[in-house]
Amino acid sequence: MFGVSFLSPLFLIGALAAAVPILLHLFHRKTDVVIDFPSVKLLTRAPVQNHRRRQLRELVLLALRVAALVLLAVSFARPYVAGAVAPASAPVTVIALDTSMSLSAPGQFARAQQAAQQAVDSAPASNAVSLITFADTAIVAVPPTGDRRAVRAAIAAASAGAGGTRYRTALARASEVIGAREGRVAIVTDLQQAGWEANDDGGLPDGVEVQVVTVGGPVGNLAVTSAARRGGIVTATVQNYGPGETQVAARLLVDGKELARTTAAMAPFAAADIELRGGFANAGVAQVVIDDAAGYQADNVRYVALDPAPAVSIAALVADPTGATGGIYLERALSVAGDGREFAVTVADGRVFSKWTAAEMSRHAALVVLGTRTLDRNGRELVKSYLAGGGQVLLTLGPEVDPGTLGDVIGAELGVIPAPVRTAGATLVASDSRHPIFRPFLIPSGALGDIQVDQRRRLKEQDGRTVLARLSGGDAALTEQMVGEGRLLVFTSDLDNQWSRFPLHPSFVPFAVETARYLTHGRVQRREWTLPDVPAGAPPAPGVVIAGDGAAARRMVVNVDTRESNPAATTVDEFTNGIARTNRSDQVAPANVAREVEDQQRWWQVGLLVMLVALAGEALVGRRAA
Amino acid sequence: MGEAKFLDPAIVARLGTIDLKARTIVEGFLTGLHRSPYKGFSVEFAEYRQYLPGDDLATLDWKVYARSDRHFVKKYEEETNLACHLLLDVSASMGYGSGGITKLQYGSYLAGALAYLMNRQRDAFGLIAFDERISTLVPASARTGHLRAVLLALERLKLGARTNVAKPLHDLAAAVRKRGLVVLVSDLLDDPATVLEGLKHFRYRGTDVVVFHILDPYELAFPFEQSARFRDMETADEVMAVPSVVRQDYIDRMQAMIAHYRRELSLVGIDYCLLETSQPLEHGLMAYLMTRRRMP
Repeated sequence: MFGVSFLSPLFLIGALAAAVPILLHLFHRKTDVVIDFPSVKLLTRAPVQNHRRRQLRELVLLALRVAALVLLAVSFARPYVAGAVAPASAPVTVIALDTSMSLSAPGQFARAQQAAQQAVDSAPASNAVSLITFADTAIVAVPPTGDRRAVRAAIAAASAGAGGTRYRTALARASEVIGAREGRVAIVTDLQQAGWEANDDGGLPDGVEVQVVTVGGPVGNLAVTSAARRGGIVTATVQNYGPGETQVAARLLVDGKELARTTAAMAPFAAADIELRGGFANAGVAQVVIDDAAGYQADNVRYVALDPAPAVSIAALVADPTGATGGIYLERALSVAGDGREFAVTVADGRVFSKWTAAEMSRHAALVVLGTRTLDRNGRELVKSYLAGGGQVLLTLGPEVDPGTLGDVIGAELGVIPAPVRTAGATLVASDSRHPIFRPFLIPSGALGDIQVDQRRRLKEQDGRTVLARLSGGDAALTEQMVGEGRLLVFTSDLDNQWSRFPLHPSFVPFAVETARYLTHGRVQRREWTLPDVPAGAPPAPGVVIAGDGAAARRMVVNVDTRESNPAATTVDEFTNGIARTNRSDQVAPANVAREVEDQQRWWQVGLLVMLVALAGEALVGRRAA
Repeated sequence: MGEAKFLDPAIVARLGTIDLKARTIVEGFLTGLHRSPYKGFSVEFAEYRQYLPGDDLATLDWKVYARSDRHFVKKYEEETNLACHLLLDVSASMGYGSGGITKLQYGSYLAGALAYLMNRQRDAFGLIAFDERISTLVPASARTGHLRAVLLALERLKLGARTNVAKPLHDLAAAVRKRGLVVLVSDLLDDPATVLEGLKHFRYRGTDVVVFHILDPYELAFPFEQSARFRDMETADEVMAVPSVVRQDYIDRMQAMIAHYRRELSLVGIDYCLLETSQPLEHGLMAYLMTRRRMP
């Protein structure tokens, strides 16, 4: 029943390479000089190497070399114990065991395990049995097998985690396991309502019987659904998903030390904000912990990152930082965002800017060009390469910008008519008020209309250029276009209070901030994650994740998805009706199951490890033989 | 006596039958010997034949004439109370030869030449060829035609297996009852203790012994250059050796073995003669005659 199969058996041809050392060995043997000599016994006691020992050593070397080559070929062929997988034609019963957070109430998962064991026992004797554990993802814990003890052992080893419920993912996995054979699915779950919410795909083939084994959840559950810091206060929102009134005790912990504790009364099916005051630093991770012994455990803790988010760096290129055209209005406007911590503006004139390297430039999330008068050739090339390489640039067309060199600066012909156009009192109108830059101006509507622009430059119409805002009269005021890999916004007047009084207008700050946010979107380092999203390389579990080393290290927090905290369940009928049925011809080939089995067993890694040991041994023996 | 006057064993090997070889060696040797200080060894003739015209009248036996009225010539004859036993080692190791001649060939020619010489001296002689057991036995005799039998036996010798010098020596020592001479021709690649024990057995019984230790020049100098597996010709044991590394040690061991034989044999009055297969066979004859001369 058990046998070794291979995912890529063609690689086994590589094992023929093992013939090379054998042939070399045989060839070497043939060419060995043998001299018949009568007085060999006088040589035996001389300090020479005994031939038989050498012969044995050569055989060991040969065996090690052949083993290394064969192991290499076998490892590349991706072996797996196929006996663990029942024949593709055998009917299969798939036990789908829910391991989501909504099974984590005290004693609940033990009941789920018991129900799963019973499902194994009740599977028809002719059926192979497979186990899938599922939450946000579904894992084939045991591929179809006749070894039911292995399935029982896997059930006993399973545990409920902090993930959400995704039925469609589980059904898709079960469908892959069943493949083209006859099958039935016994799904052991609490019928968590949120399980159908995820917008993923998955169903079962026609004719696959579904048995729903329900594991009852707690009557109620308390969960910390959010927590945020405001100064010295952490405000946590606690939700009571139960039908009864209750008291909840909440604690604030920072680095394991309790800083605050409070109690709040919770109405049935209601939420309450709890303020926890504590003198804590701007570093570390705070935890809001509530006591809820009867409910789900993973949502009793909420992590809050206390480290301030690192400011997003923006470079402002000006003609003269000491003069009136020094970008002071832009710098001040951006300095108010995020309590003054959101942006860090670096102002540089053309002479300084031209000395920057591409690496220095790449550290800035965006570049605002307010003046090009002092920019030399190096500086122009730097702007051009920054933009072409994916940089975000806001170009203003004020008096300090030389339209004649703009093609060199941007790396693309912009179609700017150099002569400024004087239109006293022209006002701004957003082409699409839903654009992220203009969203703050939706209410009160018409706020942009108070902005007056006295002079500007005209832009010719171009393909690929989107006009985000116009001036009264119809000329473009703000445009957007892609240049290379980067994005270029062009403001046709200036932002230094020379051609317009826009920088003095109250709308300038939100305009500058939203424009900066729009340009730097994606460059903000995310500090808080919600399962199943986690930072790259982090385990899918709530807690603190530290990225980077030393001074560059930063803490991030991962919290549970609180949709899973609601113990409300659907009914069996609703559940079965929610299962999409697919045509059998669309089923995934059993090869996927084999691949998964191989993925779990990973014998190729063992093979490569043994191959390395064989090579090390060969080197050792070879060195002694030399 | 210069080496140039002697025959190169390789040239002897190219001569026809062993009969011719033996005669060539001995006649040449004896021709040279007339001018040597070794002439005059004792031989007496006692043979009668009919007088033929031209025979020396001094050789006429008048007593026979008086009794039979016929003329008989009295020829000299040796007192044939000396039995010579030629013991020739034919073990596999004797098959080694780095040049144009193997140790067995060399030993055969030597034995043949000695037989020829003994025949001329009217000594009784016999041949025993052995490896780990006696493979050829020609009993000692002084009969006419015995030389041919011995030479024929020598010609038909084949290489045997492992050496066991001691056993045939003990067997022969037990069988020899009267005064005699044992000539051992061997490479002595056996346990020296057992070889010496066998040879001493003869001496205890009053038999004179001369040992011809036959070795190939390569066995003495080990001039190999290339690393190789050296396979023992008798046991087939193999030893991988780098000649440049083991040469001196090997030579030391070989010389120690030779010195050991020479010393131990000398102590019991056994003549020992080391012969390289590149040396003229006359050296062996000379050694034999030296031994024979001391005998009564």
